[in-house]
Amino acid sequence: MAADAGAGSRDIPTATEELFELPEELAIDTDVARRVMVGFIRNQLHQAGFSRALIGLSGGIDSALVAFLVAEAIGPEELLCVMMPYKTSSAESVGDARLVVEELGANSEIVEISRIVDGYFGDGDEPGDGGKSARGASQLRRGNFMARARMCVLYDRSVPWSGLVVGTGNKTEALIGYTTLFGDSACAFNPIGDLYKSQVRQVAAAIGVPEAIIRKAPSADLWPGQTDEVEAGFTYPELDRLLFWMIDKRRSDEELIVMGFNEAAIARVKRLVAVSEFKRQVPPVAKLGPRTTGVDYLYPRRRPGSARR
Amino acid sequence: MKPLRIALAQMAPVLGALDDNIARHHDTLEAARAGGAGLVVFPELGLTGYQLQDLAAEVAMRADDPRLAGLAVAADGMSAVMSFVEEADDHRLFISAALLEEGEVRFVHRKLFLPTYGLFDERRFFAAGDRLRTVESRLGVRLGIAVCEDFWHLAVPETLALDGAQILINVSSSPGRDLAAIHEVGLGTAASWRTLMRTYAQLTTSFLVFCNRVGMDETVSFWGGSEVIAPSGEAVFTAPLFDAGLHFVDIELGDVRRERIGLPLLRDERPELHLRELRRILAERTDMAIDQASESPAADDRPNGDRAARERELT
Repeated sequence: MAADAGAGSRDIPTATEELFELPEELAIDTDVARRVMVGFIRNQLHQAGFSRALIGLSGGIDSALVAFLVAEAIGPEELLCVMMPYKTSSAESVGDARLVVEELGANSEIVEISRIVDGYFGDGDEPGDGGKSARGASQLRRGNFMARARMCVLYDRSVPWSGLVVGTGNKTEALIGYTTLFGDSACAFNPIGDLYKSQVRQVAAAIGVPEAIIRKAPSADLWPGQTDEVEAGFTYPELDRLLFWMIDKRRSDEELIVMGFNEAAIARVKRLVAVSEFKRQVPPVAKLGPRTTGVDYLYPRRRPGSARR
Repeated sequence: MKPLRIALAQMAPVLGALDDNIARHHDTLEAARAGGAGLVVFPELGLTGYQLQDLAAEVAMRADDPRLAGLAVAADGMSAVMSFVEEADDHRLFISAALLEEGEVRFVHRKLFLPTYGLFDERRFFAAGDRLRTVESRLGVRLGIAVCEDFWHLAVPETLALDGAQILINVSSSPGRDLAAIHEVGLGTAASWRTLMRTYAQLTTSFLVFCNRVGMDETVSFWGGSEVIAPSGEAVFTAPLFDAGLHFVDIELGDVRRERIGLPLLRDERPELHLRELRRILAERTDMAIDQASESPAADDRPNGDRAARERELT
């Protein structure tokens, strides 16, 4: 993380050095990034004819950063933070989420999803409506279900709140597919989806996200003790650097090995990226008619007349 | 000599909202006139917005469209450069920049280079222009007008300067990207453009006027940072990044003469040399010289025979 870039170049911020590890090549100008993301949020809402937004606030750094950005863009009074814990969610998560809400002075609601989830999978000896197949469901199935239950709650709450759901997924997790399709990835727009986790941390530190949230180990909190880095087998700085050189800077496997990346890690990350391609794209439609949406019917999402009246 | 006052309209057009954008051009012309401008420059596709996709055909105007004529009337007494989707008689669509002077559309430049890579997809929706000409202006000098990507090709500013331009005007919708902290102003795109514009102004010993839009279309943010660069390569004015604004900049056209007397690069250009070598390169690229080369006895037994033979033939 040395800041000894060539003479005449800009100083790479180092004040946050102790809070987290920031690979040098991933350092961005946080003022410019904030400017673009805040403008993007305003623009997306304005073009769609909305003045309010809502997010699922987990207590983690990604949704905390988005909360800060939305508050900066439209004011905290226009933001609704929905906290949606399951009964095994860590108490720390809800506590950290509350910290963000208090810091910003935003609106908040708690909607527990325990009964929704247990109603399907069952609770203890009590069978759920999902029947036998649901009873012995894996943690993965349950985790995905929870992510989608939160999506349902969020989209339902968007109606009385009269706001758009803002996405909180980062570039790292999108690229390796560490998301639930139509679950946590569902949103109207996403201001931080082109920031690697390390860059999320950098902007979060600059914008004033509480230190406790920046410091703690990232977790999907889908089961007790789960952490992203243990599950993935990489630390975020390692993974971010590899993805950056592989994808943004188009380095070949051979070049990556020369740079010091582990061959097995390269192969594994490449496979994760390839196998999750479907999560990053709109579902394909069989081409039949003369003009097909997404193929040869191509309009800007925000074309004239597209805004809600 | 009275300085020329340039008004840079660093604005954010509304995507696809032709009427709104025309109205805003009218307002801006009025403000520029009130500010004493002699030359008003609007960004690329300022009348339509940039990421049009299939909307392009819906906002297209012919160069003789009465709405453009109306803007020309409004600009009378000034020189105005504004950009729109032009529909030709044969219904090809172009990204065009028009010079409006003395109540009429005096000249239209059709974008020559249509980026279709990375985040760009212009060639899918537009035809490329095929004329590169300067235009005599009421300002007393010839203007060279180009659109955005045109200036990522060296031949464009060079040709315009050789054709007599003393002010090179580039209108752009440049999307900001490459946010690394190592770049000047934190934005790779801005750093690249600044390097190019200073270089072109210096090498052509011309004024360079760059007007880039701001605001967002869909996912991309346009970074603004419009500039006026002197024939010495020094920036006379740099507009803020991302903020909309109408900026007035005064220049001394006499600086072109001073620079060209002191640094006679244009005098020393060798267009005939360039042309000769370009002809050779083209011939080699298209294998047009192969027949000539095959007559040479040296061609068969030397690996570079073809080329060596051609070089003899052509010199």
